[in-house]
Amino acid sequence: MAQYRTQVRIIADVLRAARDMNVEGEGVGVTMLLRRGNMSYSRMSKLLSELVGSGLLQELNGEKISKYRISEKGIQFLAAYHNFEDFAQSFGLRL
Amino acid sequence: MVGEFLQLLGVFVSFSIAYVAFRGVRQTQSSSLVRLATAFVFLGLGFAVEGVVGLGQLVPNLPFSSMAVVAGLLFETTGYFFLAFSHAIDVVMSRRMTAALLMFPVITFTGPQLVDILSVLSFFFVLYGVLETAYSYLTNRRPDTLLIAAGLAMIGAGTFVQWLSLLYLNVDVLSLLQIIMKEIGLLILFTPVLGFAVGGKRIDGAV
Repeated sequence: MAQYRTQVRIIADVLRAARDMNVEGEGVGVTMLLRRGNMSYSRMSKLLSELVGSGLLQELNGEKISKYRISEKGIQFLAAYHNFEDFAQSFGLRL
Repeated sequence: MVGEFLQLLGVFVSFSIAYVAFRGVRQTQSSSLVRLATAFVFLGLGFAVEGVVGLGQLVPNLPFSSMAVVAGLLFETTGYFFLAFSHAIDVVMSRRMTAALLMFPVITFTGPQLVDILSVLSFFFVLYGVLETAYSYLTNRRPDTLLIAAGLAMIGAGTFVQWLSLLYLNVDVLSLLQIIMKEIGLLILFTPVLGFAVGGKRIDGAV
């Protein structure tokens, strides 16, 4: 059976991508996030605005395109997500 | 007296699991954790009411309403309902859920009493929770998921014995046995909470 992703899981996937792909510390472009986030451009744009607004992501304005970097608050969110995902999976549930 | 003490232990364990789940809700806004927390709040309330009713019966000539017994069982059954349907909502009416619903009327209407019905419903919900958790184990292969399935199975066996204790009122040992089985099951369910208490996981999110 196909498993749908909950909103909190999508957020965690995007934050993980922003953390793991930011190798050079210059942020991650939307294209890379789209590839890992597996969603449409319009949906990703809306989500990125929300994540920047809530302080989970930092937007780095480049010359041509914006890039995104995970914030300290985002790292804390991912740690909490990981802990509680573990907790929920113990009960056979998904976050 | 042992039974009442065990009921109060059940209150502590249930509310501890509910507390961790609620903290998870605050951190992640997860609906799965909302249902899990709700389940254990109801289970905790159920054990609390049943424990208080049991203690009340130790005092001679103290009138204790049978409604309190029903209320305790109702809380407990509601807890098992949320525990079972955490999975049901997760799998969105899978074939397993349909099969479980087909079993429902057969089991439910075998007992005429409200208390009987609640006990049978509890058994049904826990059984469904066991099946779904075992199925989750087949997917994620996590030993702790298997452990939780075993804990739920023990609680399920306890609810079955509880139902038997209502049918065979002259067999006193059944009443104590069902509480012991449920408490062992609950203590097994407590193991994921230990990860937060002693395993280095922090409830506020930082590792």
